[in-house]
Amino acid sequence: MTGSSDAELIAAVLGGDIDSFSGLVRRYQDTCARFAVRMLGSRVDADDVLQSAFMRAFRGLRGCKDPEHFGGWLYQIVVNECRTYASRQRKREQRFPSAATAIETAVAPGSEEEVDLDVGGHIERALSALPTDQREAFLLKHVEEMTYEEMAEITGVSVSALKMRVKRACDTLRGLLDGVYHG
Amino acid sequence: MAENFEAKQSAEDAAFVERIASALRAAERAHQSFEKRLMDRVRVEGATLYPVRATSQTSWWRRERVLRISPIAGLALAAGISAIIAVSSISIGSRLSSGGTQSSATIQRASATDTVQLVRFVFVDPRASSVQLVGDFNEWTKGATSLKLTGAPGVWAVSVPLSAGRHEYAFIVNGTRWVADPLAVKSSDEFGTESSVIRVAALRKSET
Repeated sequence: MTGSSDAELIAAVLGGDIDSFSGLVRRYQDTCARFAVRMLGSRVDADDVLQSAFMRAFRGLRGCKDPEHFGGWLYQIVVNECRTYASRQRKREQRFPSAATAIETAVAPGSEEEVDLDVGGHIERALSALPTDQREAFLLKHVEEMTYEEMAEITGVSVSALKMRVKRACDTLRGLLDGVYHG
Repeated sequence: MAENFEAKQSAEDAAFVERIASALRAAERAHQSFEKRLMDRVRVEGATLYPVRATSQTSWWRRERVLRISPIAGLALAAGISAIIAVSSISIGSRLSSGGTQSSATIQRASATDTVQLVRFVFVDPRASSVQLVGDFNEWTKGATSLKLTGAPGVWAVSVPLSAGRHEYAFIVNGTRWVADPLAVKSSDEFGTESSVIRVAALRKSET
């Protein structure tokens, strides 16, 4: 089934061939993982969220109105799940350090923790200091390299608001990382 | 002079952002057990959600189905503004005695092959011009499930096939007003938006 289109796999699942869903999982799990890990700053949390997002997609497969664009629909679910998870986490605990603490830990090697990812802990920590909406917008724009129109469709936020969020995110990151990168 | 400065600043900003973003673009892999764990869950629910399409000669419209009609009494709101009757769940099959009747036997046979149950949602508001039902079963899509006026004034209803399990739902009145069912169990999301909860019971083997 690896050569099957998204629409063909979905039709197979709806027809009772449940295992066809694994074709969709294999196709999208890594792309979604990158966004979720960067968004949540933790592979463990990202794994939980992705399990939940894929299950939501599976349960709501009949609601995927454009099966050829399953990826975009799934991405919408992943973004929403990440948003909800981050919001819940923020309520429960002050998971992310404040901006001031973030830069402090960013330049202090040896303070490894869960968010120490391959890409360099200092960037991840600075990213985690951003408000959720700015982090989400920055990742979609500059890491997933989406257009603002695509971002608007996925997030349900207007293009102008998204542009503002991205700009603020860039300004904050610059302030946090200037000392590390010297511009 | 000022333009040169702005252009230089903009180029520096772009270079800075690109430096950060390129690091974050590094590939990330889902855990090697991710697919297996997920598919284990998918297979458990899959048989109920997406049963293998029947290949028998029996047309879908001739197959027997369990009808769960749960008219929950409407709640008249203060000042007689609106009343809501929510979903309910009166399981015809489960209320029958074990001794069974002809009806019971018919329903029991149906339950062995049909796991989706029809649930009727009723909403009462004499001033409503449109009522929509949103829930996890339609991905909270506004416009996907519209209630229709019944014979009684101000009484809107729709029947929706639901799989067994817990479902969340709400009504959208006149295209904008979000209304949770006051008589049902409430569920609130992170942003304080209330929705209602209905549980559709799984049909037990003994009922078959």
